[in-house]
Amino acid sequence: MINLSQTVKEGAAVVAEIERRSGQRITACLQCGRCTSTCVAAFAFDYPPHRLMHLLQIGLVEEVLRSETAQLCLDCMTCSMRCPVKIDVAGVIETAKAIADEAGLRDTEPNLRLFRRGFLNNVCRHGRLHETTLLLWFNLRTGKLTNDLSLAPLLLRKKKVRIFPPRIKNLRQVRRLFQQVNGSAGPPR
Amino acid sequence: MTAYSYFPGCSLTSSAAEYDVSFRLVANAFGIGLDELTDWNCCGASPAPHHWGGELGILLPARNLHIAGAGHPSVVAPCAGCYNRLKYAQFELERNPELRERTGAALGEAVRYQTEVLNVIQLLNREIAPGDLSERVQRRLSGLSLGTYYGCVLVRPPEVVRYDDPNNPVKMEPLLNATGAATPHFPFKTECCGSYMGLAKKEMVLQASKRIIEVALECGIDALVTVCPLCHQNLELRQGQINAAYGTDYHLPVLYFTQVIGLALGHLPAELGIDQHATTDFGRWMLDAG
Repeated sequence: MINLSQTVKEGAAVVAEIERRSGQRITACLQCGRCTSTCVAAFAFDYPPHRLMHLLQIGLVEEVLRSETAQLCLDCMTCSMRCPVKIDVAGVIETAKAIADEAGLRDTEPNLRLFRRGFLNNVCRHGRLHETTLLLWFNLRTGKLTNDLSLAPLLLRKKKVRIFPPRIKNLRQVRRLFQQVNGSAGPPR
Repeated sequence: MTAYSYFPGCSLTSSAAEYDVSFRLVANAFGIGLDELTDWNCCGASPAPHHWGGELGILLPARNLHIAGAGHPSVVAPCAGCYNRLKYAQFELERNPELRERTGAALGEAVRYQTEVLNVIQLLNREIAPGDLSERVQRRLSGLSLGTYYGCVLVRPPEVVRYDDPNNPVKMEPLLNATGAATPHFPFKTECCGSYMGLAKKEMVLQASKRIIEVALECGIDALVTVCPLCHQNLELRQGQINAAYGTDYHLPVLYFTQVIGLALGHLPAELGIDQHATTDFGRWMLDAG
């Protein structure tokens, strides 16, 4: 939803911040659409990449920060490789996502956020990822207990399930890395 | 015998154990020593660089670089994701003294980050000449068409990984051709498989991976070859889900690069963990193999 009270002037400050962090010039975008034509994920986006760039050009930053696109970009960087004026489009989208996150705009695609958090919590707990508990935790938290259940017989039959979690020796050192980012004993939120 | 530090990463100790097994067999066959890093941790994979400002995406792999710094001159990370994260950490630590400082503070000593980081293709190309492999082949893979699937993070971003051509990578081909296999034109070598969205946004993975399989079959490819456990999971393990979602009937094998070389060296599919894959429908070429 566009906030109509928002002026292009206010948007300009956020656009400048995106440019500063990503090191890209939004105005350089030609609107040729090549990023969109190479994007494998665009079918799931609300704004295809070139339209997202255009929204930034005209200062409609709230649309960008709240977009599905910012959350769903796979960061495969194909658009950045193909851009004729060498804009790192994926870097711009990733920066918008980070700013949205900092601004607390977390209503779009909460499950992806939850997955990343669960993944990192899992790593903080064991030092390595334990896929089994991540899957169980995620399905319990989202209430979709049958998610990927169809894979279970296959995974068990093919001995791809690790029952017991790994654990590294110097877990304290790994947790200090988490503290460096979060300033507490482990990942919050 | 040349020895390398070895960073297996989480996948190779669990859902992609067959990648570890086949890599060790191939390394052993060519006298390549592998010393597993002591007490390594998760590299952070895709979630770390995309969460909490992204800095864990540097700090977690930095600890592994630091451990590698006390070992051999080079460290090999067969998982494309781990390889990318190690290269990224190195890239950022190199140019950001302040980050180096903070990383060192968390580790408890000055961070060692300059160990050479190799991916599995790079290591095997360095240690095995195609001619040598060709002479050692016990099971010639003639008549087999392999689709070399490199994925995203092995070759992108090019200024960080500095490996192969980011749009048309070709470094897997010489060793594969030395096994007798053909590597026909496959335009989807670096198309994204859907990344880590499998649990939280499955339809993205299924659609992205379906396109890759579809194009591979149109190109007459018998099996895809990958170096990435996440790509393998999306393209191989989830093939049944793709079939269920789209009404297709795909049974396209997806093999790790090291498994193909292992097969050519005469190892049985089971020794290389190929029986652990969902799709073991190898048709004609596996039947007359060995």
